[in-house]
Amino acid sequence: MKKKCIAMLLAGGQGSRLYVLTKDMAKPAVPFGGMHRIVDFPLSNCTNSGIDTVGVLTQYRPLELNSYIGNGQPWDLDRSDGGVHILPPYQSATGATWFKGTANAIYQNIGFIDTYDPEYVVILSGDHIYKMDYSEMMDVHEKMNAACTISVMEVPWEEASRFGIMSVDSEGMITEFAEKPKEPKSNLASMGIYVFTWSKLRQALIDDENDPNSENDFGKNIITKMLAAGERMASYSFPGYWKDVGTLVSLWDANMDMLLRSDLDLHDDSWPIHARVPSMPPAFMSAASKVTHSAVSRGCDIDGEVFNSVLSYGVSVEEKAKVEYAVIMPNAQIGADAEVQYCIIGEGAKIGAGAKIGAAPDGSEGWDLAVIGPGAVIEAGAVVKPGTMINIDGEEVQKK
Amino acid sequence: MKNLHGILFSYERSDALGELVLPRTNASVPFGGRFRMVDFMLSNMVNAGITDIGVVMHGKYQSLLDHLGTGKDWDLSRKYGGLKLLPLDANADADSDFRGRIGALHAVKGYLKEIRQDYVMLADSDVVINLPIQDVLQRHIATGADLTAVCTAKLNDAAGTTYFKVDENGRIVDTALGQYVPEGYRSLEIFVASTKKLIELVEECISHNQPSLSKGVLQGMVSKLNLQAYVWDGYAAQICSVQEYYSRSMELLQSNIRRELFRADRPIRAKESNNFSSYVDENCRCVASLIADGCVIEGNVENSILFPGVRVGKGADVKNCILFKDVSMGAGATLHYAIVDKRSKLLDGCTMMGHEKYPMVIGKDQEI
Repeated sequence: MKKKCIAMLLAGGQGSRLYVLTKDMAKPAVPFGGMHRIVDFPLSNCTNSGIDTVGVLTQYRPLELNSYIGNGQPWDLDRSDGGVHILPPYQSATGATWFKGTANAIYQNIGFIDTYDPEYVVILSGDHIYKMDYSEMMDVHEKMNAACTISVMEVPWEEASRFGIMSVDSEGMITEFAEKPKEPKSNLASMGIYVFTWSKLRQALIDDENDPNSENDFGKNIITKMLAAGERMASYSFPGYWKDVGTLVSLWDANMDMLLRSDLDLHDDSWPIHARVPSMPPAFMSAASKVTHSAVSRGCDIDGEVFNSVLSYGVSVEEKAKVEYAVIMPNAQIGADAEVQYCIIGEGAKIGAGAKIGAAPDGSEGWDLAVIGPGAVIEAGAVVKPGTMINIDGEEVQKK
Repeated sequence: MKNLHGILFSYERSDALGELVLPRTNASVPFGGRFRMVDFMLSNMVNAGITDIGVVMHGKYQSLLDHLGTGKDWDLSRKYGGLKLLPLDANADADSDFRGRIGALHAVKGYLKEIRQDYVMLADSDVVINLPIQDVLQRHIATGADLTAVCTAKLNDAAGTTYFKVDENGRIVDTALGQYVPEGYRSLEIFVASTKKLIELVEECISHNQPSLSKGVLQGMVSKLNLQAYVWDGYAAQICSVQEYYSRSMELLQSNIRRELFRADRPIRAKESNNFSSYVDENCRCVASLIADGCVIEGNVENSILFPGVRVGKGADVKNCILFKDVSMGAGATLHYAIVDKRSKLLDGCTMMGHEKYPMVIGKDQEI
């Protein structure tokens, strides 16, 4: 059936800068904020924005993500017409190809999009934490009669060279686009969220595929070419919280931002972020426990001290353990007397009694997070220094 | 366990539960921080592989309907079988009433005749238990019983309770209703029979104008039938009064009871709503408590059970309380020994206190 708008979610990236956290799962499946996974944000945004058809493009280690999304029920995306569709690379009569780039991933699924014959297609990334009403962006797109609308936000000038940077005119129409410019002319950065008029994007994808020199990337190729061809390119200035959680530090930061409950307030019922969470009893905090300025989730069993940390579902913190400035992912266990500070503890990891994981004295510079990979077991009394990363086999992994 | 069918009786409303059952029946009274009473038997059935479950309802069942929905949270939204809602007035005349479980089964006899499975488990919806139902069926088949009743040696003296005298072979030889001094085994009101036998029993009782399962079958046929006892020695709570509700709830703050009731291999499932982690603020104390999803705690909470979405304002003092979904405690409010029903609000600075022996109940949607 014809849809006005459908969404395509790019969820195939490896997320190599999350190192051990994405060793066995794609980045969008990485846990966030205690009860969620990163992919919950774009999926819930779609539902809340009235988009009921979402194609999820997977490629790297899709098992966890596929089983997590399932039939889409937690996001009300189990629809008889539309709903969520997992779209892996496939084999065709002419052979099988992996997705060569973000644009190529959409190109390979033109057939899927055509079945819904949409007027507009929203292109989303699977590695951003934000709450956005895509319908507002679509309103701008329609009002400006644009071929493409890109959501943008102001970033600090010194960071601008890490982003795709836009220059816009007084009406918000994009006049110039530069991918990671050395000398940025503006501080309006692309958030990697696009609304396209499907007929325009469809042609651009076909042209791009026929260009042997193209890297088949949205930012680098499609946007640049459409702008050069004189298409109307609008900007949508997003006022809310947005964070790319593609790195360990930014993932940790976003979790800490959530604890501030100002810019990123997950308790706001008007824009719920849905999740698929196993059924567990409520969190228990013992008489000896001390939990302050922290998030706790169902199934937690807390007997120790927790400060400024995010505890995901099923986490246990045994007696006299100390957890500070830490992100503890689902079902991890923190042994008695352990000290766990300034770190990320992966899903199901076990920290032995008295172990010391990470730390960073106040005001010290040049420190880095300690990261314990999912499923890793840290023996009793072991010391994992700040900036050290341990994988499931107990080996130290170097950051590149 | 494809060969077992489940039927839950969900119409009981215990007067002694007072305001807690004004808007609902016992079955949908909230319990344990995020569950309703019915979730325990419903989950036990699902965990045992039962795919077809009928819920018999009568009166004040809006709350239960909202809770159960299509049954998807218990994997009971199925093309074949799944959850079947059986309101007793659905096919009855406007002023007709029913009495007893046999009467209720008779009212849905068309449904009974369509049961695909050879065996049926009948259970009340207000028993808090994590029961391995496979074992009950296995024993039922092994003993060649006409009917197997789950019971416990832990006695209490709640009014209207059924007690069994059991011989050395596990056969029930006498049934007493509401004994003055309880003895023997207390019925947990969970039964297994073959579908064929159940239909026979219903017809026989009805033809003798006996709509009560306890009186007609358990008592009336105790010598005629092979009634077997399945003695459960684990945790079980049947809740008939506010005092009982309060003390059985508070037991959940003991980790050994939680471990027995909430096992990873037989999870108790509840209706899922919005899921957020809960937030505990700086400078507050939250200890010896069960905290469900999505709470925001800025005051002190001790020895309490908080359901999803509870807000505790700055400087508030909550001790020995049970706060249902979306209850809000204003800044500086004080509340001890109270059960507060859904969405009620204590405004800033308000103080209310019950007593351990007589916990106060604040009804649904109140503003104080």
